[in-house]
Amino acid sequence: MAVETPVRPGSIDPETPQRRRIAAGLLDPRQFWQALPEALRKLDPRTMWRNPVMFVTEIGAVLTTWLAIRTPSGFGWLITAWLWLTVIFANLAEAIAESRGQAQADTLRRTRRQTTARRLGEERVWEAVPADRLRKGDVVAVEAGEIIPGDGDVIEGVASVDESAITGESAPVIRESGGDRCAVTGGTQVLSDRIVVRITQQPGESFLDRMIALVEGAKRQKTPNELALNLLLVALTFIFLVTTVTLQPMAIYSKEVMAAAPDTLAITGTGIAGIVLVALLVCLIPTTIGALLSAIGIAGMDRMVQRNVLAMSGRAVEAAGDVHTLLLDKTGTITFGDRQAHAFIPVGGTGAEDLAEAALLASLADKTPEGRSILALARQRTGTAHGAEVGGDWVPFSAATRMSGVDLGSRSLRKGAVAAVSAWVRGHGGAVPDELDGIVEAIATSGGTPLAVADQTRVLGVIQLKDVVKPGLPARFAEMRRMGIRTVMITGDNPVTAKAIAEEAGVDDFLAEATPEDKLALIKREQEGGRLVAMTGDGTNDAPALAQADVGVAMNTGTSAAKEAGNMVDLDSDPTKIVEIVEIGKQLLITRGALTTFSITNDIAKYFAILPAMFGGIYPGLAQLNIMQLNSPLSAILSAVIFNAIVIVALIPLALRGVRYRPSSASTLLTRNLWVYGLGGVITPFAAIKAIDLLVQFIPGIGS
Amino acid sequence: MIRVPQWVAQHLAALRVVLVLTLTVGLLYPLAMTGVAQALFNHQADGSRLGEHGSELIGQDFLGRREYFQSRPSAAGDGYDPGATAAGNLGAESVVDTLPAPDGSREGKQSLLTQVCARSKEVGEREGVSGARPYCTGDGVGAVLGVFRADGLTGAATRVVSLNQACPAAPFVAVHEGVRVECATPGEDYAKALVVPIRGEVTKVMVPGDAVTVSGGGLDPHISVAYALLQAPRVARERGLNPADLRRLIDRNTTGRALGFLGEPGVNVLKLNLALDGKA
Amino acid sequence: MYGWFQALSILSLLLILHVPLGDYMAKALDGGRHLKVERALYRVCGVDPDREQDWRRYLLALVAFSTVGVAALFALFTTQGILPWSLGHGGMPWELALHAAVSFTTNTSWQNYAGESTTGHLAVMAGLGVQGVASGAVGMCAALALTRGLARRGGLGLGNFWVDLVRSVFRVFLPLAVVFGVALIAMGVQQNLDGAQTVNTLAGGTQTVIGGPVGSWEPIKLMTGDGGGFFNASSAHPFENPTALSNALQILIMLLVPTAFIRTFGRMTGNLKLGWTLLVVAGILFALLLTAGTLAQSATTGGTVAQAVGGQLEGTETRIGVPGSTLFGVAATASADGALNSSYDSFASLGGGVLLAAMMLGEIAPGGTGSGLYGLLMVVLVAVFLGGLMVGRTPEFLGKRIAFAEMRYVVLYSLVAPTMILGLTALAIALPAGRSSMGNAGAHGLTEILYAYTSNVNGNGSAMAGLNGNTVFYNLTMTLGMLVGRYLPIAFVLALAGRLVQQRPVAATAGTLRTQGVNFVVLATGGALILALLNFLPALALGPLADGLLG
Repeated sequence: MAVETPVRPGSIDPETPQRRRIAAGLLDPRQFWQALPEALRKLDPRTMWRNPVMFVTEIGAVLTTWLAIRTPSGFGWLITAWLWLTVIFANLAEAIAESRGQAQADTLRRTRRQTTARRLGEERVWEAVPADRLRKGDVVAVEAGEIIPGDGDVIEGVASVDESAITGESAPVIRESGGDRCAVTGGTQVLSDRIVVRITQQPGESFLDRMIALVEGAKRQKTPNELALNLLLVALTFIFLVTTVTLQPMAIYSKEVMAAAPDTLAITGTGIAGIVLVALLVCLIPTTIGALLSAIGIAGMDRMVQRNVLAMSGRAVEAAGDVHTLLLDKTGTITFGDRQAHAFIPVGGTGAEDLAEAALLASLADKTPEGRSILALARQRTGTAHGAEVGGDWVPFSAATRMSGVDLGSRSLRKGAVAAVSAWVRGHGGAVPDELDGIVEAIATSGGTPLAVADQTRVLGVIQLKDVVKPGLPARFAEMRRMGIRTVMITGDNPVTAKAIAEEAGVDDFLAEATPEDKLALIKREQEGGRLVAMTGDGTNDAPALAQADVGVAMNTGTSAAKEAGNMVDLDSDPTKIVEIVEIGKQLLITRGALTTFSITNDIAKYFAILPAMFGGIYPGLAQLNIMQLNSPLSAILSAVIFNAIVIVALIPLALRGVRYRPSSASTLLTRNLWVYGLGGVITPFAAIKAIDLLVQFIPGIGS
Repeated sequence: MIRVPQWVAQHLAALRVVLVLTLTVGLLYPLAMTGVAQALFNHQADGSRLGEHGSELIGQDFLGRREYFQSRPSAAGDGYDPGATAAGNLGAESVVDTLPAPDGSREGKQSLLTQVCARSKEVGEREGVSGARPYCTGDGVGAVLGVFRADGLTGAATRVVSLNQACPAAPFVAVHEGVRVECATPGEDYAKALVVPIRGEVTKVMVPGDAVTVSGGGLDPHISVAYALLQAPRVARERGLNPADLRRLIDRNTTGRALGFLGEPGVNVLKLNLALDGKA
Repeated sequence: MYGWFQALSILSLLLILHVPLGDYMAKALDGGRHLKVERALYRVCGVDPDREQDWRRYLLALVAFSTVGVAALFALFTTQGILPWSLGHGGMPWELALHAAVSFTTNTSWQNYAGESTTGHLAVMAGLGVQGVASGAVGMCAALALTRGLARRGGLGLGNFWVDLVRSVFRVFLPLAVVFGVALIAMGVQQNLDGAQTVNTLAGGTQTVIGGPVGSWEPIKLMTGDGGGFFNASSAHPFENPTALSNALQILIMLLVPTAFIRTFGRMTGNLKLGWTLLVVAGILFALLLTAGTLAQSATTGGTVAQAVGGQLEGTETRIGVPGSTLFGVAATASADGALNSSYDSFASLGGGVLLAAMMLGEIAPGGTGSGLYGLLMVVLVAVFLGGLMVGRTPEFLGKRIAFAEMRYVVLYSLVAPTMILGLTALAIALPAGRSSMGNAGAHGLTEILYAYTSNVNGNGSAMAGLNGNTVFYNLTMTLGMLVGRYLPIAFVLALAGRLVQQRPVAATAGTLRTQGVNFVVLATGGALILALLNFLPALALGPLADGLLG
């Protein structure tokens, strides 16, 4: 049995996208046994009728059971047994898929139990209430060591929170009131401090609840494509029902006109034997995909959950596969969150060494990531290891001066925005060299940010800060392009800078100096052009865009508003995961399409097994259609039925795992799947039925 | 103004459109076409008449008169009846006759194979050649055996009947699979016998295929060149003509493939016979 | 050899001619100005030509027109005896008149009567002639509506039925009918208003030669997918199809408008490549049918009688020959035209099976006027659905999504024909009333019945004429088959068009299933063969297959 190592969240290696595969969990043979009781429970017709293809199969099985009891024969019982197995195998597929989510659901459910909340009551006093009684708008207090009773926003205080229960990530996260880090999730634990939370969920609708519902799969709603496919399957079932039923009068007539033909177990003067007719029907209707369809859907959601993505609906997962345009925030998604020092460019005859040292000194007190990156670069250039031991008066950054630095004896070093530093130098009676403008211009054009460094009257040079594109992204975006997905970078930078970064990252387009309104407008524009848009967001101001996008992935660290607006939440808050979400969505559809094609094309071989078996006894010429040279009519029919049942079990791993998917263009995908599952569906059953026939012919009474 | 419901309005419109179409497409168009056709292609439009002798496009029955070339068999009425055009409509595996009851209480129905065999025999006799064909008996019926087998379709033959040869005819083979072949008794049920057409030993067929089959409409004006050549000696004999002259006459009334590759060549029998009578 | 050359030359000519005609049809049928005459005509009929109809209204108009058409034909047939130009033929009995009226209104034109002995000139000209053209135009209307549903980018309007109808008739069919009619008359098809004339035959017998306006009827019968014969023998009658050249022209005429319509579709959707792709799919299916038919009809495989004769000559006209008959048969059944120039009943069993298969495919290669296109599109939509899933996207066609609501109509469409054909065949074979009409015994008898209902439900009209259809049972069941088989699918097509037209198209990217190229052609062709034929295979096994593999 094919087994794949599950990919841990975050372990996607962007360096080698070609080797990446969407994988699911292990399929343990023991799961078959564990799921068996549930599979038997699902035989209840009230459950079965939801799946029309298998419902018809079950009715067929009931019919043959009755027929086998009335006129017992070894052949009749064998067919009956295998028809029941067909139904059970189908239920097994669904049960296994569900059981894999069940374990996850149980863990989640445990976190929900016996939480009590301290709610701010009417009279402004704290009162204890069970967590499940909390309503939207209630205000609760949570202290260190307590479980947060429900989803909400922090409105007071700051705390470190352990969210491992839902994200699986053990490192605590900081949650504080105001800003974009205010959302907390029910079931997570406060580790330190005390926060006051306003509940944003209705009872029973928390993320935890939704997650449990999702992984359990039982109350899963069918997705739009699944519904459409189901329709096709019902139609095929109906057509083959008509084919089979109307065949009977024609068979009776044929038997009558070929009076010489003796009665056989398959056909007599009263027509085709009921058991054979049912066998034909079950072989023709698309049982393979009918049996696996719901397992495929459950497994698809399961794959999402395994990647710590919480989709609000299956519809959203499918929509992810259809995405045309992917909006990506520059900061944090395409580039590392912070700019880094890239080069020192001296002006006015300053030595490179001197500039580096000045920059180093000016940045010693700068604890921002940018400051640290300047220090690192300067130390590398000067070879020294100055630390804070250098005395002096630190001048902190302020919004008014837009620079920071140090007064060190006679020296007064400043670094900051070029305009601000230039003004400061002029204020001290110094002059700004003409070459500065050119250098600043060049840096801006290349997508960098210039910082000027000055010593009172002298501009020493420029520090080039640069956005650093995450490694491997250009390859990833090229892959997206092959899949037909356009990537658009969203940034607040000016167009010149944005263009440079866009080129470096390899995105198809960019939106510079973007405001939330621009973002929303862009999404609407794309949608008007018939394109589906996916985006990630975390801030409250992203909420309208998230809501407008066809696939809006909110970061779990984001605000409740953002999470409410989107239709997926990434618990890892990894903005690049949207790429994977798209792939899972596509894989889900491909698996359905491929197995349907396989199921339908199987019918050709089954006809070649069953038609000569049924009618070869009337018209000897039709025995020529027995191109597989199957042993006897009974062995042929039995082999087809057995194949029909076994193929379900054989395909369960594939249904759970999803068919192989590598990001590529539609043509490549179609070529592969058409030949593998289309042509494979034609050829495989010929070989398999023949092989089964070689075995069953030894059963007494079956072979000739 | 009274507003009529949508569905009534649409039906009223439909009625008017049908009337307009009837006047234009139904009357104006065919009448105009008739006018044009009569003016431009008078001969064709009037049915390609050959004087008072009928139409060059419509085959005629020459009633077996030996001085005329004979047309193909016809299923149109009693033969070449334009008032009842038809094909034989029997299938490719129509090989077993329903034999008529000897007392006349029940009419028989010949299978297509027997029709072919009978015509072949008749034409052969008329033209003085062998009318033998594969799957035909010497007496001009389909050579078809009904073989009863021990297990229905399989097993040893227990009884063999020549299905199309009514008793007291002598079966075309005496023994089949070691069983003596019987002649068929009209009215007896042979449904349980396996139908086995017997190809026979015939290798050279003298009578062309079109001479033993009916055409699609029963008015086929043509016969194959081979059939014409088969009839030529007889006609020449009857009319005392030089075979070479007759051959030329046949050539003159042969229509080749249209444009050299469409359809099949054929000899127009009526025109050929008119030429023979000097009426062309 | 000549046979293949004949087929290739006709099909090549078709390929050349379909381009200008298709382009012309796109321009003439969709948009543009109304001619003055047309405006007058619309005014007379009380129709506002500039009013867009949504799918319900479009369907209402279509059904109203067809209802009136049936009623008018029924009246004409039953009262023929008291009308002029009846040639002395009386009115038809009601069940035959009903069948005939429905038959010609639904573009089926299966005739349970022999033309020469039943209908006079008025019934042919003003009855069959009108409904022949009109029913072909109705098919074009439905296809135009579906095309607009795919091509338009929002709104509800699918065009105006009356405008589509009038334009199909007067801008497409009538001009073509004049051209082809004159050409056929020049080749020998008669065109007069004479009655029956008795002549003395050369051998001393008499023969009644029947005149009539055949030349004006012939192009209508061939071009519109109608196919009913002026005479019982249809195109096997020398007055309908006098020479091998006229035979070739008739094959061309049958295929021309449906093939050109594929081009029209390409033009109207602004996607000529898709048009070519659909043509390739139809072409492959046609080539498969023709090859299978030709092999089946050869002397060595043609069955016992063919071997006794030395060729498949039974029921074949000398001037046309076996290849010309096979090609004609395949062209007629694949193009929804019920014409025949030989006896399909006497085709080799497997050859008859090929004709059946051509109809069972849904008459999509290239099918009837309009109906061929929408039939083909329905098959393609199923293929697109599976293909779309296989490339990991919600299936879409021309940017329109094929989701649940759309699939509903596609699926319902494809249920109609198999259910009706198999259901009615099973009914007939189970009842003495059905069995007693068989002209042949055994498996071939079953083939005749299967053929009859396949032809009626699919609106083909060709017949294995051995079956006696003129009984109350067959007249009524066939009428039911034709009505359901024609209008239910059209209703689903229009409903689908109504859904599609509202959709704003989705942009196409590298991730979109391309509706061209080898893969797509394989998908669509395979889909057509598998989905359309699989459900008929058991019935085919007991009919033509059992018959043909008898030996």
